[in-house]
Amino acid sequence: MLYRLAICALACAAAGAQTRTNPFAGSPEVAESGRAVFRVYCTPCHGIRAQGGHGPDLTRGVYSHGGSDDDLFRTISDGVAGTEMPEFKGDINEADIWRIIVFLRSIARHDAAGIPGDRARGEALFWGKGACGQCHQVHAKGGHLGPDLTRIGVERSLAYLRESVIDPNARVEDGYATVTVIRLDGTRLVGVERGFDNFSVQLMDAGGNYYSFLRTGIKSARREFRSLMPDNYGRLFQPAQLDDLIAYLTSLRGGEAPQ
Amino acid sequence: MRMTAALFLVTLAVVAAGITDKRLQNAQADPATWLTYGKNYYGWRYSSLAEINTATVSRLAPQWIHQTGFSGSHETTPLVFGGMMFLTGPSNSAAALDLLTGKEVWQYHKKPPSGLNLCCGQPNRGFAALGDRLFKVNIEATLVALDARSGALLWEKPIADHRKGFSATGAPLVVKNKVLVGVAGAEFGTRGFVDAYDSATGERAWRFYTVAAKGEPGGDTWPGDAWQRGGGSTWITGTYDPDLNLTYWGTGNPGPGLDGDVRAGDNLYTCSLVALDADTGHLKWFYQFTPHDTHDWDAVADPVLIDTTVKGRTVKAVVQADRNGFFYAIDRANGKLLHATPYTKVSWASGIGGDGRPVLIPGAEPSDAGTKACPGLGGGHNWSATAFSPQSQLFYFNSTDGCALYYRNKQEYREGQWYQASTADAIPNEPPAGSVVAVDLATGKTKWRFEMVSPASAGMLATAGGLVFTGDGQGYFIALDAGTGKPLWHFQTGGQIIAPPITYTLNGKQQIAIATGTSMMTFALMN
Repeated sequence: MLYRLAICALACAAAGAQTRTNPFAGSPEVAESGRAVFRVYCTPCHGIRAQGGHGPDLTRGVYSHGGSDDDLFRTISDGVAGTEMPEFKGDINEADIWRIIVFLRSIARHDAAGIPGDRARGEALFWGKGACGQCHQVHAKGGHLGPDLTRIGVERSLAYLRESVIDPNARVEDGYATVTVIRLDGTRLVGVERGFDNFSVQLMDAGGNYYSFLRTGIKSARREFRSLMPDNYGRLFQPAQLDDLIAYLTSLRGGEAPQ
Repeated sequence: MRMTAALFLVTLAVVAAGITDKRLQNAQADPATWLTYGKNYYGWRYSSLAEINTATVSRLAPQWIHQTGFSGSHETTPLVFGGMMFLTGPSNSAAALDLLTGKEVWQYHKKPPSGLNLCCGQPNRGFAALGDRLFKVNIEATLVALDARSGALLWEKPIADHRKGFSATGAPLVVKNKVLVGVAGAEFGTRGFVDAYDSATGERAWRFYTVAAKGEPGGDTWPGDAWQRGGGSTWITGTYDPDLNLTYWGTGNPGPGLDGDVRAGDNLYTCSLVALDADTGHLKWFYQFTPHDTHDWDAVADPVLIDTTVKGRTVKAVVQADRNGFFYAIDRANGKLLHATPYTKVSWASGIGGDGRPVLIPGAEPSDAGTKACPGLGGGHNWSATAFSPQSQLFYFNSTDGCALYYRNKQEYREGQWYQASTADAIPNEPPAGSVVAVDLATGKTKWRFEMVSPASAGMLATAGGLVFTGDGQGYFIALDAGTGKPLWHFQTGGQIIAPPITYTLNGKQQIAIATGTSMMTFALMN
């Protein structure tokens, strides 16, 4: 047993001391080939231009699980437990992981500090005039109808956030379509999709009430890729106020709620 | 103890009786078993069992659930004979189960090597059997022979070098004394082939390259040395016609997948159906579904052999629901097109001309900014198993109904590295739907369609009970009326279904089996 512990201690020390370096760092040609690999494996979550989708925006030069080449290699290779980031070490060989990292470096704008708007004013608008908290949660406070925004600052690009506020129907995320159910008695129920399969339908209405139906127990169910979020924020807010709101949203990076 | 020993001897005797060439040729007449990937050599996935039928299916209920313990996609078509079920799992795993209880009899596992180049995980789609032996491929492109009684490794032979991008996922096909296998790896600039190996020794008997080399017939459809990395994978099991002694295999996309500029020409024999002499591997004929494909539309879907009537004439046909969105019927003796009809939305071709070539619609080529085209990258019908019912004369398969944005970029080839020159992306707010499609073989027209909310990858099983069994990605195992497509029964299995169902009998009672999530489930009628 002691022997095993000693081996482990040695191995752990060695692992801790070893930092991988990118053999292709800085090469424009490799960045282009990395883009090709990225497009295949990473596009489904991070978008064709790496500006985020299911997964975070990767163009901002801000990475949730460490920003060194070694950190990024580990994130891609091993995935991130507790998130949707899967491990790719079985699918992408080491050289191609390094190529992806070179590509990510080539597109990182490091513009997080240059976001216009005032975060505090944006927070006040979010919970006040915008009433965004009626449907969205931040740090376990707020409604349940829309997506939880606690980590939205690392999950989506600035352009995506701005588009989502002004035009919420531009791209409706999986699981947030609008579902309309007509019951057998002819009454109509509208809400956000919580499930929609070949034999059942689940939705949540504006009051936060959850419903589940077998299709055999209703007259009809329709799913539309439009959002229940109001589409008038572009008129409700002045441009400067939109900047404030975006600054607030961008600051939401998970972790503990600020006291 | 004596009784256990006696039972053991009986089971052993049944397995030891083994699978013969004759049994494989007559597999359709033996509904108690499932001896080869497609149920019979023709790939019908049809059973004459009718105990479970349109009137009784409402009484269908689970019998046992076996948790395989293998992580990853379960796409296996299990084999059933000798009181056991033989299934393969992902990442070089396999098991034999007791047919009565679902208990594991033996398990096989080999750790895959590190550094594999894979497009799509490490699935495996099943065993082939001959004598007392089972044959499967391993993900690192090797062929393995196991003792069906114990799972013991008899031999393992390399098919191709995985470091160059080759891998293997499909169920082998036993023909006479040979084991036929295909390969995957077109995404890595490989040159695909179909191989045949001696079932006793594992020595290679023949190889047919699916990409014509310079100087060979068809070699002039590739510029320069592009053929050397021309793709043409063969990752779904072929079929076999004993009368013609021809084996039929679908071939995958050319490489690189989305940048056609570096491989001007038709790129033979990619995106094609090839008919090969089963003894020699020599090409008898080919039919190319998508010349110079640039949308990754592999033509690997099941080539199913059906004698049908076309314009009053009985024809030995081979049919395929191609990834490019058209259903094809081809004369399997000579490769001549009988008819081709779209079964889903198609935006790249207005039809298939009298010369057998698609009539192209301009503007469908992938671009740097993205080009919308239909079907999407996975095609209409992709790889999942299809079924044919001689009772209904309908052909059943699933379809992904939608479009995608196709991108391309220039990419330099490096041995063993990803070489697709870009990909496709979803169109915002336009997710593809799914459907089960039933096509009338005589005309190619869609008879009925069971609409699904999202695309499904489960395979099909047709039975004389007037049923078609399939599944969906949300875990539902479903029975449809084979004549109308009406859903008659479903069961939530709790795991994604991407495998095909099979049927057999246990003590004379019809059973249905399906891999779901990371488990195997069986169903039978409640008494």
